[in-house]
Amino acid sequence: MQIWVNYLDQILIYASLALSLNLLLGYAGQVSVAHAAFGAVGGYTLGYLVTAHNVPMIYCVFIGFGFAFVAGGLIALVAMRLSTEYLILLTLAWGYVLLGVFSTIPALGGSFGIISINAEPHLLSFFGWSMQRPTDWLVPIIGLVSVTYAICWRLGESPFGRILKGVREDPVATQSLGKNTFRSQILVFAISSGLAAVAGVFNAGWLGVSTPGVFGFTFSLTVFALVIFGGMANFAGSMLGALVLTSLDPFLRRVIKFDQSKAFLVQVIIYGLLLVILTRVRPQGLIPEGSTIRSILRRKKSEGRTEMINASETAPTFAARAAVAEVSQNNRHTRWEKAEIVLEARGISKSFGGIVAADNLDFVLKRGTITALVGPNGAGKTTVFNLLTGTIAPDSGTVKLLGHDVTGRSLDSSARSGMVRSFQDVRLFQRLTCLDNVLLGVQDQPGEKIRSLFANPRLVSAKEKETHEQAMKWLSFVGMQDFADVPAVSLSYGQTKLVSLARVLSTEAEVLLLDEPASGIDVKWVDNMLELVLAISAEGRTVCIVEHNLRVVRDLADHSYFMELGRITAEGTVDELTSSPRLAQAYFGTV
Amino acid sequence: MLAISIGREIFAQLTMNGIFRGASYGLIGVGFALILGVTGRFHFAYGFTYTLAAYLAYTFHFRGTPFGPFSDGFPFIVSGLMAVLVTIVVGVAIEKYVYRPIASGAGATALLAVFVAALGIGIAGQSTIALLWSQQSQGFYDKDQFVKKAGWHIWKVTFENLDVFQFITSLTLIIVFSIVLTKTSLGRQMKATRVNPDLATVIGINANRIYLICFGIGSGFVAVSAFWYGLQYSVNPDMGARPVTTAFVVAFLAGTASSPVRIFMTGIVLSLLEQWSSMFIQTRWTQTLVFVILFGYLINKSAKGTIFSKRIISIVTLQGIRG
Amino acid sequence: MTILLETHDLQAGYGRKQVVFDLNLKVNKGEIVAIFGHNGSGKSTSMRSILGVLPVMGGTVTYDGQDTTKNSSGTNVRGGMALIPSERFVFQDLSVTDNLLLGGANDPDEARRRVRQQLVYELFPILKEREEQLAGTMSGGQQRMVSLGIALMSNPKLLILDEPSLGLAPSVVEQIFGVVRDLVVSEGLSVILLEQNVGQALKIADRGYVMRSGRVVIEETIDQMKARDSFWDFF
Repeated sequence: MQIWVNYLDQILIYASLALSLNLLLGYAGQVSVAHAAFGAVGGYTLGYLVTAHNVPMIYCVFIGFGFAFVAGGLIALVAMRLSTEYLILLTLAWGYVLLGVFSTIPALGGSFGIISINAEPHLLSFFGWSMQRPTDWLVPIIGLVSVTYAICWRLGESPFGRILKGVREDPVATQSLGKNTFRSQILVFAISSGLAAVAGVFNAGWLGVSTPGVFGFTFSLTVFALVIFGGMANFAGSMLGALVLTSLDPFLRRVIKFDQSKAFLVQVIIYGLLLVILTRVRPQGLIPEGSTIRSILRRKKSEGRTEMINASETAPTFAARAAVAEVSQNNRHTRWEKAEIVLEARGISKSFGGIVAADNLDFVLKRGTITALVGPNGAGKTTVFNLLTGTIAPDSGTVKLLGHDVTGRSLDSSARSGMVRSFQDVRLFQRLTCLDNVLLGVQDQPGEKIRSLFANPRLVSAKEKETHEQAMKWLSFVGMQDFADVPAVSLSYGQTKLVSLARVLSTEAEVLLLDEPASGIDVKWVDNMLELVLAISAEGRTVCIVEHNLRVVRDLADHSYFMELGRITAEGTVDELTSSPRLAQAYFGTV
Repeated sequence: MLAISIGREIFAQLTMNGIFRGASYGLIGVGFALILGVTGRFHFAYGFTYTLAAYLAYTFHFRGTPFGPFSDGFPFIVSGLMAVLVTIVVGVAIEKYVYRPIASGAGATALLAVFVAALGIGIAGQSTIALLWSQQSQGFYDKDQFVKKAGWHIWKVTFENLDVFQFITSLTLIIVFSIVLTKTSLGRQMKATRVNPDLATVIGINANRIYLICFGIGSGFVAVSAFWYGLQYSVNPDMGARPVTTAFVVAFLAGTASSPVRIFMTGIVLSLLEQWSSMFIQTRWTQTLVFVILFGYLINKSAKGTIFSKRIISIVTLQGIRG
Repeated sequence: MTILLETHDLQAGYGRKQVVFDLNLKVNKGEIVAIFGHNGSGKSTSMRSILGVLPVMGGTVTYDGQDTTKNSSGTNVRGGMALIPSERFVFQDLSVTDNLLLGGANDPDEARRRVRQQLVYELFPILKEREEQLAGTMSGGQQRMVSLGIALMSNPKLLILDEPSLGLAPSVVEQIFGVVRDLVVSEGLSVILLEQNVGQALKIADRGYVMRSGRVVIEETIDQMKARDSFWDFF
């Protein structure tokens, strides 16, 4: 009996490590191969404090969490601005060095580690519940898993978790929606490391030892395997993965009767092969992201639905949209003349190596109007958007938004100050649903802050409901409400453009910079797209479009700037511009 | 100042150790950088191929074939060469039958998918070695005494003949590889595939073939290194972890796009720093030095405003130029 | 007129996503064919699957009398196809010489390679002067010349140019187009020109296609195209 409960304890400890790693790996897309090393921080904290200073275990839980939180935060701080390879390398080195150092410190037991942690039984107790036998450990360990699950689930399946997933899919697009991706990435790494340390505390207490071998690299990889096997970004999967894979050990030892070291090696070989085979055959794991065990059993049905959506290419219907009044070109011009300046750019320049992408640009955007940047491919139109929003920093010049200097602000900060861009290549979050894509655009969500998630859950859920309504409103506005649950990756090109418009609109930003909103979409949809943009401007928002289809520009723009080779060479209404033979030449070449 | 007071002999000895050890870091680092730089695969199973090579050489020499003329082992040099060859085949096979299919199926998430598979091969491979041979170290030496271990002394510095052989093979391989890279059509094609894989395919370079060649060269380098290491010390299932991890760091510090000579020198400098540091700090802390240097380098790199990955920067820049 | 390249109901795209539908394209020997169309209209995708960089999803490609539908890009380049992409069209970190040699890497004949290199230097003397310079540090126009040099090194019969005028000053565009036209005359080259610069393209092209949303919507002779009073329909 005790022996089987002991296995159950082990499964649950592995499960809690898998949960916190999944938060990091599955949700945030950050690869750490040192999860067990953070567990070692906890294990050694317990071992040292209990044996040398008689500190009760309950304090060790918090101290261990604190150490690992800080260490994880520092590692993330350094690696987060760099690409994935660097994070892998840094965590790998961290794991080796940490255990290497631990195994040389006499106070930590040298290469033997700290043994006989349970020599003072009264220290290993929670509120008088003393833990000696595996059955005594079961209750606290269930507590550990429950708390870890609750914390990870709260963080992962919330607006905060949405930001994590956004960064995983496309960090630049996430920032373009005003999200501080940097902070959330550091925090999630620190918390995940801290939770690993807590599991490490329990592991060391339960085993009665904390040694370099216990928390070695193989342990990290085992946890890694559990997460991949169970399914990334799915906590139920991690539980299931731990249950199935950790049961291998008793199976090999009790049923096949391997000795301990052979059972261990065979187990590791199986884990390794599973990783290879899974990435090839079923990369999404047992339970894929966004699925539950129940939905897997009903899989056939949902696949059919995706197929159906793929086939449907009809233009969406626009029920909820305001009618747009016809405005003549003349009226447009006067309207533009009278409108108030919202954004003012002066002397913007930028060059890449020998190529001048923007040369001393001056222009303004005005409230409630549509301004177009036109010109041939390669003229530097998209560069203007990059420079305005801080996607790229200008070499010189100033940008003023509503009177405030926003020059050189970062992409997310300029989005929060009310200027949001779309991308020529759309950049939807591929594996997220359309609704999630649009939800990420909504500003000021309390659920994006960890403190509110735990301190003010009622506010968070109330706001989350509002956020959903708002996102659905904009999805319906572009006519994509029926696709709310469909992952962006299965949309057609035209549909992605619509969802990306909804995403930009849901930010409620004052200034919208739309990069080729109508290009590449089916002819029958173009008019719909134009109506949408007109409707936005009729609401009083300031719109700037980059477009090289002059027919689209003629239908939309109140004012146009003509760009050639990084310079603005003319401005006026579209008719003024197109009637100039010199511009036609710049656009189409000489005829 | 401090160095002088501690003694010139120690300093000279540490320098010598550093150069010899560094040559091995450098060679493995060049192989890893070639693989990561050209193919984009984070070949984590590189440590496994290291261990495998040493075990193969050991087995060929001590066991040989089950019957026939070599039933009591192949000659020493032949065993070494065979081990290198088999390791090359294994490295190429990993790319061809594991990484390539996984990467082409994974699309945008190829880096992570390949890394996970590489982890799997690495741990499964290492455990298989432990299962087939044993978890214990095995002594590896030339039982025919053709290559004998000998201590050499110059002034007050002591080293082994094997150190010198190791250094000379590593240096020779690096020089030959540098020449291949700069002077031959194959070398140009490898660089072209690294610099601009899309254009390389467009002008008819078979990227798959280049990838296989990179894996072949990288696996050969790691095998040579492992062979010398095993000979100097012993072979054991964990032997790959430390040198290969250090070599990863070397490759990143030098930059995976750097010339082989530069990566090789980085390996030697890192190793020298590691050795010299033992004059100032307790030996147990010297192993943290590699990590500290890596950490410092990354702080500096990330502070330079390298936002996210090079990939993203290039996408943004391109759009900038294009738009 | 003999046909060099012909596609029949070509379907192309990335992964599972189809971008080009039922493309029927014909290029005669010694002919310059221009293809116009908006960004994302499928021009580049079509060319990439003709070359074999992307797999053909359906239909056939016939080149020089052979069915090349399933050929790899390597085979097609050896067969005389050459494509110059619209962006990142040189190996930035490599010298001009290395760039050119890479273009000829598929040709085993060393002597012929040297002749081709001489020809490239005659066409663009500036490249000879800057042999050792890294291609990425050159001006936009010079990089275009390098890219054309890479393509010519492979001794092409069919040259596919993807927006060669992108971001270039008009005088440079004219120079490059001039070289292309001369090559058509002197070497009997066939050219497919994907362009936005309608004016320049119409000056040298013999026939034109317009693509929109992955399909060909207009196919005309150059005189018919020139007779149009506006080109807005092209984009």
